[in-house]
Amino acid sequence: MKKTLLATSVLIIAVLIFIISTRQKSIDFTTQVKPIINRNCITCHGGVRQKGGFSLLFREEALAKTKSGKLAIIPGDPDHSEMIRRITLKDPEDRMPYKHNPLSKEEIEILTKWIKEGAPWGEHWAYVPVKEVPVPQPKSFFGLISKKSDWPENEVDNFIEQKFGEQKLKPSPRADKQTLLRRVSLDITGLTPGAGISKKFLEDNSEHAYADLVDSLLASPHYGEKWTSMWLDLARYADTKGYERDDSRSIWKYRDWLIRSFNEDKPYDQFLTEQIAGDLIPDATDEQYIATAFHRNTMTNDEGGTDNEEFRTAAVLDRVNTTWQAILGTTFACVQCHSHPYDPFKHDDYYKFMAFFNDTRDEDTEADYPLLRSYTDSMEHQVSAVVNWLKQNVSAGKSKEINTFLKTWQPSYNSLTCDSFINSELSDTKWLALRDHAQCRLKNVDLQNKNQLIFRYQAYVPGGIWKIHTDSPSGNVIATIALPKIKDDWVITQTKIKENKGIHDLYFTYSNPNLKKPEDNGVIFDWFYFTQDLPGKDKPGYGEIKKKYEELYSSIVPTTPVMMDNPPDMHRVSNVFERGNWLVKGDKVTPDVPESLNPFPSNAPHNRMGLAMWIVSKQNPLTARTMVNRVWEQLFGTGLAETLEDLGSQGTLPTHPELLDWLSYQFMYEDNWSVKKLIRRIVMSATYQQDSKITPSLLSKDPFNKYYARGSRVRLSAEQVRDQALCISGEFCDSMYGPSVYPWQPKGIWLSPWNGKDWEQSKGNQQYRRALYTYWKRSAAYPSMITFDGISREVCTARRIRTNTPLQALATLNDSAYIDMARHFAHRMQAASGGDLQKQIKDGYQWATFHAIDEKSLLALLKLYNAALDEFKNDKDKTCEILGGMSSDAKPETAALTVVANAILNLDEVLTKN
Amino acid sequence: MQEAERAVMHMHTRRHFLKESAMGLGALALGSFLGSCGNSIPGNNVVFDPAHPLMPKLPPFPGNAKSVIYLHMAGAPSQLELFDYKPELMKMDGQDCPKSLLEGKRFAFIRGVPKMMGPQAKFAQYGQSGAWVSEHMPHLSTIVDELSFLKAVTTDQFNHAPAQLLVHTGSPRMGRPSLGSWVTYGLGTENQNLPGFVVLTSGGKTPDAGKSVWGSGFLPSVYQGVQCRSEGSPVLFMNDPDGMNRDLRKESIDAINEVNQQEYAEYKDPEILSRISQYEMAYKMQISAPEVMNINNEPAYIHEMYGTKPGHACFANNVLLARKLVEKGVRFVQLFDWGWDSHGSDASLAIDIGFINKCREVDKCITALILDLKQRGLLEETLVVWGGEFGRTPMMENREGKKMPFKGRDHHTEAFTIWMAGAGIKKGFCYGETDEIGYSAISGKVEPFDIQATILNQLGFDHEKFTYQFQGRPFRLTDTRGKVIEDVLA
Repeated sequence: MKKTLLATSVLIIAVLIFIISTRQKSIDFTTQVKPIINRNCITCHGGVRQKGGFSLLFREEALAKTKSGKLAIIPGDPDHSEMIRRITLKDPEDRMPYKHNPLSKEEIEILTKWIKEGAPWGEHWAYVPVKEVPVPQPKSFFGLISKKSDWPENEVDNFIEQKFGEQKLKPSPRADKQTLLRRVSLDITGLTPGAGISKKFLEDNSEHAYADLVDSLLASPHYGEKWTSMWLDLARYADTKGYERDDSRSIWKYRDWLIRSFNEDKPYDQFLTEQIAGDLIPDATDEQYIATAFHRNTMTNDEGGTDNEEFRTAAVLDRVNTTWQAILGTTFACVQCHSHPYDPFKHDDYYKFMAFFNDTRDEDTEADYPLLRSYTDSMEHQVSAVVNWLKQNVSAGKSKEINTFLKTWQPSYNSLTCDSFINSELSDTKWLALRDHAQCRLKNVDLQNKNQLIFRYQAYVPGGIWKIHTDSPSGNVIATIALPKIKDDWVITQTKIKENKGIHDLYFTYSNPNLKKPEDNGVIFDWFYFTQDLPGKDKPGYGEIKKKYEELYSSIVPTTPVMMDNPPDMHRVSNVFERGNWLVKGDKVTPDVPESLNPFPSNAPHNRMGLAMWIVSKQNPLTARTMVNRVWEQLFGTGLAETLEDLGSQGTLPTHPELLDWLSYQFMYEDNWSVKKLIRRIVMSATYQQDSKITPSLLSKDPFNKYYARGSRVRLSAEQVRDQALCISGEFCDSMYGPSVYPWQPKGIWLSPWNGKDWEQSKGNQQYRRALYTYWKRSAAYPSMITFDGISREVCTARRIRTNTPLQALATLNDSAYIDMARHFAHRMQAASGGDLQKQIKDGYQWATFHAIDEKSLLALLKLYNAALDEFKNDKDKTCEILGGMSSDAKPETAALTVVANAILNLDEVLTKN
Repeated sequence: MQEAERAVMHMHTRRHFLKESAMGLGALALGSFLGSCGNSIPGNNVVFDPAHPLMPKLPPFPGNAKSVIYLHMAGAPSQLELFDYKPELMKMDGQDCPKSLLEGKRFAFIRGVPKMMGPQAKFAQYGQSGAWVSEHMPHLSTIVDELSFLKAVTTDQFNHAPAQLLVHTGSPRMGRPSLGSWVTYGLGTENQNLPGFVVLTSGGKTPDAGKSVWGSGFLPSVYQGVQCRSEGSPVLFMNDPDGMNRDLRKESIDAINEVNQQEYAEYKDPEILSRISQYEMAYKMQISAPEVMNINNEPAYIHEMYGTKPGHACFANNVLLARKLVEKGVRFVQLFDWGWDSHGSDASLAIDIGFINKCREVDKCITALILDLKQRGLLEETLVVWGGEFGRTPMMENREGKKMPFKGRDHHTEAFTIWMAGAGIKKGFCYGETDEIGYSAISGKVEPFDIQATILNQLGFDHEKFTYQFQGRPFRLTDTRGKVIEDVLA
């Protein structure tokens, strides 16, 4: 009896201790307090509105005196904290949240206890640097290690399995080999697997068969194409400049740079550094310049009458927003107008950050200057000859300067920066145009040691005399240039100017007696490059080098817009824009990063290179997490944190935060930013390899598959829908790189004003290239891809929202591009399977789904075939039509099989990744 | 709230809500039963079901309008030759523009000191309301008592593309959802066999801002406007491929769905059922859309009334089509007519030549639209809006400081006219006033944001509460601005 009593009291004490110990667990700001504040308080007491002089965004603000003089929060003293008093009032007039339902008892308790504990502020999970995370080990009730489960293939599974326990879920079995083959191939290369790779995997019964498959897919050149497709949405890549005229832009070399970078598994830190600051790498290569086109995918406005500075500014703001959205998974755009309402970013932070991008050479010019000029190999040879000659005979500095000019025509003054016009104007607000008795000004030109002017212009009428004066229209004339008439094209020429010192405003005057009417333009200018006559006159070979030099800079070569900073004399000051309005300039700012994140690296320069160093610092809490989350989303259809675009406090919390951090840590520290290794880690997990069948119990316990107790089923992306159909049809053209192509598109899609360009369909197999090579016009993007949730890419889009609509069905059923593919698919079935109809359909289904067809499905397709055959047998015209007008050998059987092929391309199993 | 819902339900029942969308309701039930594929889109008050994104939904409060027809004259028609009568301006015709009107101002093309230009049309007052209308709109002048004129609309964008974007998306930059996208996102559409947001263009070009003016921005792409075409398939990919007849198409959809059923039996993924229903809907759309979109079978008197030219691509055809679409339950019909940019740079853009022709093309059919909607009892639930993206200067344009070959006016942001009609808008009303030469608004000034707020209000939305979470903050059509123009509400 005594014993029982003792045992009971021990038990009671144990329970009491347990209750007390759990009770005394302190309040966690991030998971308990911040959600209450964000839900109920922050709209009025946050960054934008600070009603009653009270803000809950930063701790120092929250603890400060409010307008009434009272302290809302007194750490340790909830009883005297105004906030607690106000949320507990009975009178709805005074109670907070104002005009809303009162907080719940639990919420009030949490806030009270939190203040009592000293109101500690916590940091949002995504703003804390990634630390090493221990891999969970299965545990039993008393903390004893239980029998190890044999499910996990790697550490990813340990994290996933841990949550199974909490949710009472069990993993699904491994998917069959065919499903796995198609799934992993679509995920890694964006394509269904080729015959060779499939056969090897399906016949290989060894343990490493799947690992070998993954490795060979990662080594495929198509890997780079698939992951480039993903990056193009982030980079807002397009083949046009956007806005009204939406004219062409040649920037495809950037797309090719992405493909090569992914394929060579360029470490992600380097991949980012080159895109943000490739031009600032010492002795940057052409490829590194091309990488910077990332931020030249901003739109350029060619509409007549637009303010070039306004749209230059818009491009700079877009660079800021894109950097945050694409690379840092944070929505920074709100800070443009006011301090962030939810996250620790202040209004100034935005403009300090903007200052990193605000000092570049681009000025919304029609040509998209600055451009990298890509010379042919033989011309490149000559460039080296000129540059090396200068290095040997003049100086390294001069050699570098000339190299930059040959490669970029920079640094030159764009004529659209001229002002003070008399009898002159910017033609179509793009280029300086001078009439008879014209006058205008070009401000702040550094003439130190300059005795030559190289300029690009068109002159319509002979007899024009152009004079350049310093400091006033009647000032000292430093050049008098006769401008002969030239043909209707731009010409680059050079002239001597009087040597001068220092910085001057230049005044241009122009007269031409041959101009008949006062409104006729005599000349238009594009840019002006002030320099020194090529030095080294007394050195051997000068004449030849000078000739080469002039030929090279005048040559017409392919170009790509790139980033380049202003030289010191063109430096642009950055200011805060009051309430986001670019016309209302506030305080001056210099480049910096938000205080609330990792510190700026001490050895880093305060320019884009330093910015890149800050971004790829392992202390940056966002860079790795953002990429890992994105890669996960590509493989599973949903990110670990669903809101790829926002890991901040308004985004959704990750379902598996420890896994996200563990993967991020491995990505940086173990795998040295190797994206291929990251992908390999994930696809090698048992989690990834599960079957995607859904049981009623799975559906009820986890309808959205947030706990990954099954494989995910996801509709293919717009690009994959097309690429897969090309593969199945047998027409897939695997050539890579180069200018974008024009596959079949319905008539009448392109009708931009002031732009007579037509869609001219590519010839031969070029029309069967992968979707990512399709010419992308922002204001009229390729329609069938847009139907499948493709993005028009005006701005960075971090996540595509998948929809399911009848218009998608209509596209793959009726679009002539898909009918054409169905036709080729039918021919392929016939060719492979001779006259055996059943075998034809079985093969076709197998190629499309990687599975054998079941009896009922076969019957359904046979029935369709027979109905079609009846139809076509009696109608020669229709037979020819569906076969695309190939009348001579238009067989009803082929026509009927085309209808079946069209149906197969529309099957859910084909449009979905199982 | 319950009462509001009842009222809205009543309104819906009155017309073809149940008739046209019986299948739609079935799918709606199915959709909510099965849940969705897990795209959680944080929105404040709109349920988004990715499997059935266009199912009809109730607005937060009962609105007057069930559908909208927005007639946009792309290029910006001159208010000074249509509705804003300024005899004082005539007196200044040919004089140098006073310095005071130029100081601190920026124009798209005017440089230096331009000349003033008097109204290039005769005006008279019409109807009981006594609205001023010029001789260029002889038909419209007969129905002014149905319209509410907003005479003092202003904008802050003086280029076409940004100004059009501002009018239709609330932002001068590309990338925000358009009015029609917001509306179909919030309300779905009543006829699942037709797109919910239809765009019709005429004048040979798309608007300056391209498809972005009917883009879905950050909303799911399903809410973008569907452009109906005057050539080929009325909606892209709607026609069966050459050589395939309707029966065969039916057979093939049946086969596809049969195979998909087998797949469902194996995978049990509700998404497969949605796909099956989407293919069924696609087929129904193929059957009913061409019928609705074909104006040829309208009676002769209707063609006469609208002045249509069957077989041609023209604005009048689009206006008649707009009426048919609204009648069949399309939520939002957006018309763009290109060619109103009367700079005077050539005859077609001359204020006294091309402009008059443009007026002729639209006057009769727009008048017919109002009368036709009225006679069908649809005007009280259809909101009609007419306007451009900005106004035109009282000065004659002098591009690059030179005389133009023809008479024209430059872009003007400080005053222009937009009119609205139907769906709870005052009849025969005029709101706002400009100064005596029509340069600036002096009273009743409104911005595009206010018009957007008013349109949403008529549809049953508080524009300040109708938001969508993107880039970390709740976005709304009117951004941080906009006020319902209470004065024009009946």
